[in-house]
Amino acid sequence: MIGGLNRRAARLKATLWTLAVPPTVWALHFLFCYVWAAVRCAKRGPTETIGDIRIGIAVATVVALIPIVASGYIAWAQSRTEGDPPPHNASTGPDRLRFIAYATLLLAGLSFVSVLFVAAPALVFTDCR
Amino acid sequence: MRSSSSVLTAAAGAGKTNVREQVECNGDPMTSDECARRTGGPNLERTLRLAALPVTLLLSGCAGVQSAMSPFGVEAAATARLTWVMVAGAVLISVAVAALVVRAVRAPEGSLSHSGGMSLILWAGAIGPTIILFGLLITALPMMRQLPVAPNDLTIAVGGEQFWWRVQYRPTGAPPVEDANLVRVPVGRTVRILLTSPDVIHSFWVPGLAGKVDMIPGRTNTLVVRATKAGTYRGQCTEFCGLAHAKMAFDVVAMEPRAFDAWLVQARTPTRLSSPAQAGALTPPLHPGPGLRRGTEGAAPSGQALYTSYGCAGCHAIRGAGGRIGPDLTLLPQRRSLAAATLPLNPATLAAFIRNPQSVKAGVLMPRFAEMSDAEARAIAAYLLEPK
Amino acid sequence: MTAPDQNDPAVRKGQEDRLRATWAPPMGLFLRWTDTNNNRVGNWYTATAFGFMLFAGLLALLIRAQLAVPDNDLVSASTFNQLFTLHGSMMMFLFAVPMFEAVSILILPQLLGARDLPFPRLSAFGYWSFLIGGVFVSGSIFFDAAPDGGWFMYPPLTTDPALSGLGADIWMLGLSFIEVSSIAAAVELIVGVLKCRPPGMRLNLMPLYAWYILVVAVMILFAFPPLIAGDILFEMERLLDWPFFDATRGGDPLLWQHLFWIFGHPEVYIVFLPSIAIFAMVVPTFARRHVVGYPWIVLAAVGTGFLSFGLWVHHMFATGLPNISLGFFSAASEAVAIPTAVQIFVFIATIWAGRVVWSTPMLYAAGSLAIFVIGGLTGVMVAVAPFDWQAHDTYFIVAHLHYVLIGGTVMPLFGGLYYYWPLVTGKKLSDRMGRTAFWMMFVGMNVTFLPMHWTGLMGMPRRVQTYQSSLGVDGLNLLSTVGAFLFAAGVAVLVADLFRSPWRPLARRNPWDAGTLEWTQKADSEDWGIRSVPLIESRYPIWDQPNFVRNIDEGRYFLPDAEEGRRESIITTVLDARPLQVIRLGGPSIKPMLAAVTLGGVFILTTYHLYWSALVSGVLALGVILWWLWTGTGEIPEKPEKPIGHGITVPLYASGPTAPGWWAMFITMTGDATAFASLIFGYFFFWTIHADFPPPPTPGLAGPGVFWPMMALGLILAGWALTILARETNARGGVGIARIALALGAAASIGGGLAALAGPWFSGLDPVLHVYPAIVWVLVIWVAAHAALSAIMQLYTLARSLFGRMDPVHDADVRNITVYQHFFALSAVITFPLIAFFPGVA
Repeated sequence: MIGGLNRRAARLKATLWTLAVPPTVWALHFLFCYVWAAVRCAKRGPTETIGDIRIGIAVATVVALIPIVASGYIAWAQSRTEGDPPPHNASTGPDRLRFIAYATLLLAGLSFVSVLFVAAPALVFTDCR
Repeated sequence: MRSSSSVLTAAAGAGKTNVREQVECNGDPMTSDECARRTGGPNLERTLRLAALPVTLLLSGCAGVQSAMSPFGVEAAATARLTWVMVAGAVLISVAVAALVVRAVRAPEGSLSHSGGMSLILWAGAIGPTIILFGLLITALPMMRQLPVAPNDLTIAVGGEQFWWRVQYRPTGAPPVEDANLVRVPVGRTVRILLTSPDVIHSFWVPGLAGKVDMIPGRTNTLVVRATKAGTYRGQCTEFCGLAHAKMAFDVVAMEPRAFDAWLVQARTPTRLSSPAQAGALTPPLHPGPGLRRGTEGAAPSGQALYTSYGCAGCHAIRGAGGRIGPDLTLLPQRRSLAAATLPLNPATLAAFIRNPQSVKAGVLMPRFAEMSDAEARAIAAYLLEPK
Repeated sequence: MTAPDQNDPAVRKGQEDRLRATWAPPMGLFLRWTDTNNNRVGNWYTATAFGFMLFAGLLALLIRAQLAVPDNDLVSASTFNQLFTLHGSMMMFLFAVPMFEAVSILILPQLLGARDLPFPRLSAFGYWSFLIGGVFVSGSIFFDAAPDGGWFMYPPLTTDPALSGLGADIWMLGLSFIEVSSIAAAVELIVGVLKCRPPGMRLNLMPLYAWYILVVAVMILFAFPPLIAGDILFEMERLLDWPFFDATRGGDPLLWQHLFWIFGHPEVYIVFLPSIAIFAMVVPTFARRHVVGYPWIVLAAVGTGFLSFGLWVHHMFATGLPNISLGFFSAASEAVAIPTAVQIFVFIATIWAGRVVWSTPMLYAAGSLAIFVIGGLTGVMVAVAPFDWQAHDTYFIVAHLHYVLIGGTVMPLFGGLYYYWPLVTGKKLSDRMGRTAFWMMFVGMNVTFLPMHWTGLMGMPRRVQTYQSSLGVDGLNLLSTVGAFLFAAGVAVLVADLFRSPWRPLARRNPWDAGTLEWTQKADSEDWGIRSVPLIESRYPIWDQPNFVRNIDEGRYFLPDAEEGRRESIITTVLDARPLQVIRLGGPSIKPMLAAVTLGGVFILTTYHLYWSALVSGVLALGVILWWLWTGTGEIPEKPEKPIGHGITVPLYASGPTAPGWWAMFITMTGDATAFASLIFGYFFFWTIHADFPPPPTPGLAGPGVFWPMMALGLILAGWALTILARETNARGGVGIARIALALGAAASIGGGLAALAGPWFSGLDPVLHVYPAIVWVLVIWVAAHAALSAIMQLYTLARSLFGRMDPVHDADVRNITVYQHFFALSAVITFPLIAFFPGVA
């Protein structure tokens, strides 16, 4: 798997969309948690326990962290492309790549943390009240 | 406008003598006036001085009847503690950031390298806040859990209506008791409060007891509370609900459990003067003529007869007889205030309210009785203030 | 063709004369208002938004005067409700968002070394829409008809005609109109940032302001449409009695709250990020060095943009939703503080690493950061649900939001005013008055709002016309009132400074010695924007690139001339800013103004239930817009390409993904799809809250069946396929087949729209009866309206082809409408199976 990621990194392609990948995964994870809990809670009594909701959120969290970590890893590898030290502020292709990679890496970190934040309520609440 | 201002003056004057608001003043229970006197009164100078030192301000002065920071319920107490912790943290962080800015401005050029700057951002800007925020999150999430509640615990149904509160006690195994604009809770017992609204969105907030919960048409929300300290407090509508939103409050009385039980029994039992049967006998004619209003045999008509002839029962119930559009008036004599806790309750204010409610509280549903004389209004008020 | 000799002053003079003539503003009492140049429109826009801010500020002073003492009756409850509703609504919709757009229209082209934004006429249209809608909404208070339901307009208080008058319609329709203009500006700014950068300005060299604007404009694209969808449902309930928010007929007031706050919370960041963007320009200038942590700022902007869409329910913590749901939003609300903290430390690190030159803009920056940090910390507090249950809808929140908005929007903007005033007018403002104003505002702000935290915790709710002494908040309120007047006095000093400015001497060029591109502008600037479009090799080119300013002035970079007398700018690639095309920009025209007036007529006349007049106005608006498009877009140039200097020759015409028009259509449709998704959300929301949804099929409630929805789907997909066929055959030279395909496509679109309406029509779905028929009707009406638009586009394209304005090479029209068709087909693919089959599945 790491090999696949390395090959991806070696292709040295990064666009504006690359930046958006980790936070988009966060958004999908968030949306899933919200919709899943809202629908399940609305369709039954408030005092029933919600083991299935919590399991669903746990699975979704693991599933969401995989692409975030993967894109973070690719970004990390790309940000170490040969060239000048940071700040990557020259008008060259490699600097533009390293900049996008570095920003993507940071966004992956933020998204990783935010996914964990959003999953935390599932640890605490056991019913729909 | 003239009647309006006179009522307000009366209300303000009456407030000094008639409303006994038990507030806590530096630990001692006393009325708000006494409290204000002892601490020098809420004058501007004092406030200015205190506002300059917010922390001092927070720690002294009169604790209000409606303050989240002088709790009398378990949830509000926990939240007040959390508030202090967060305020302390916020002050600490503000000071630290300010100090860092001063340091940064004074630092000579180049005293921070590019990589040093990046480390500062990483540690102080990203990792530090992440740890603090995650700590706060996992501390606060469990506090959201509702208090455990048993099926036998007392249920109080509160309806928010423009612009007053319908209150119904539903003890298990006994008939319900209906009241308005005053919520009594037994100290030390868990109480389930069901919140609804038939018209627009309101919000039920007793800051000293617990956080607020909205009352939304088509939904029933539940708030579980447990009072810890007997006393008289105040709650208020916190969701903007129309013209008289500012004047939609209610009194809250936390009572010792035994006193509460006794009150519940007493509230259910009619006093001698007016039983439901009697009230039923007084069902008003459709079109009350002037003859009826004059009363029989030339004597001044009784307040009860006037209540009937003016059709008050069309909207208000006493001991189960009458309409349900307005507040139930059975327990009015026991209430602590008038017009949803916005005026002191006494014969004068009540009479003024009956004659022209709009001038006292613009937006209420109750119409103005232009043809009602002051004497008649006072007679009705006197009748309403008798125990039923 | 040999390159002109830029060393020859005569050559340069000739170029300048041609540029000056080309960019000359229209003259005359009326005609001057038909200008579309970003300098002019940006100025009007900024001044208008500033005026609305002052007006809304006066309303706030009345509010504070009423609350100065308990049991006050300075203003009646009815007036008070209008005051706070209009104060909030105006500050948000008529000041904060338009101000960011206005400032961006004004300075973004300078920041990017462009002559203008890609669609100057769209900017003008946005401005006129804003002016008309803004005057309509704010003027209502003089007729005692202002909206009085709060800026959040919660139903049922606002949907019940017995409880709310014309004001609610004025709010909904007036502000919907402005939202449309906001989205127009967002489209303009996104395309501006992505496609109009100067050659060499790769993504990693973009000014930070541009990064923020990009993020904010994209946020507008996803935040405003849910509100527009909500507005549609809201007005349907008010005007037609369709029960979307009426609980007695299956509706739910909470749906409005969801839609409103899906807009409302990102909105906070939409108005906050642009101000931080100004800091990101100011701080490096006065720290005399590059910003430290450029990618961190990008992280913060993009991260905030995303996270801000996961916060909306924290405005609904008290509505009784399940705690686990509240938990997600509480968590996201905590997480969003991380990128915010990052931004603050980027500025601290930059100041630390640099040499601080103290100045008035820097004073504003430091002061507003101090205020904002307090607002941010109380924001973290209210993100904690148990605390919010106490603080929500009290004066604590009033304090919190004013710390955020004054520290995060108003004061940075004033700082930006001091910073950019020389760029716009050529003159510096008074440092002394600026500092006086700052300290008055800073002290006034804190005196007003710091006590309010305590006022709220002492039990004073928001939006109350008066309060009782028993709360113990008399002194605190009086203090707040005193502070508010002090703050207002500070604003008055600032305004006085602005009015003195015309009598001040011209400042020197680049008076702050900044390093960014916009400061190449001369104090007595010309209307052409920039003399020649530079090649960018640094984030701070004035500091880093030798002879940078002189080379620009002497026309040594790109596009130094206007040989054909046309307003032009360079279009470049998104990632690396390689020149792609020279775009011919729209010049002065009355059409944008006419379009705004007629479209505004639709909204305003509908408010007064003058439906026939509104319809006439709508038809006129359509006519004007088609006339505008016909004469102003997709023009076939007189030659295929032109040299822009340095041996580079680029085309004058582009179509498809390289052309700005294609991007504009794509971006607009993204917003349109978001509004559609909000309606679909509504359908599932109602399904979620009801045990039986759809309800049992009694008369009036029976679903639209399967036949008509499938018919509609088939026809719409046929129209979509025919449009693609037209695009492909046209490109291969089969103009005749393309024309036939377009004609058939239009017929299919019309048929599809009618079939969509036929379903609920023939099954007798009664939208007044229950929310199920109402939401089905809204969905099919949405699709049918888009079908009508689709047919108009196909016929328009057909006409373009017939009149020789489109041919196999110059095919932007058919490529653009194909983008529309993709989105339209997608909405049909979702809508019809949903309304046909979901009732059976559910």
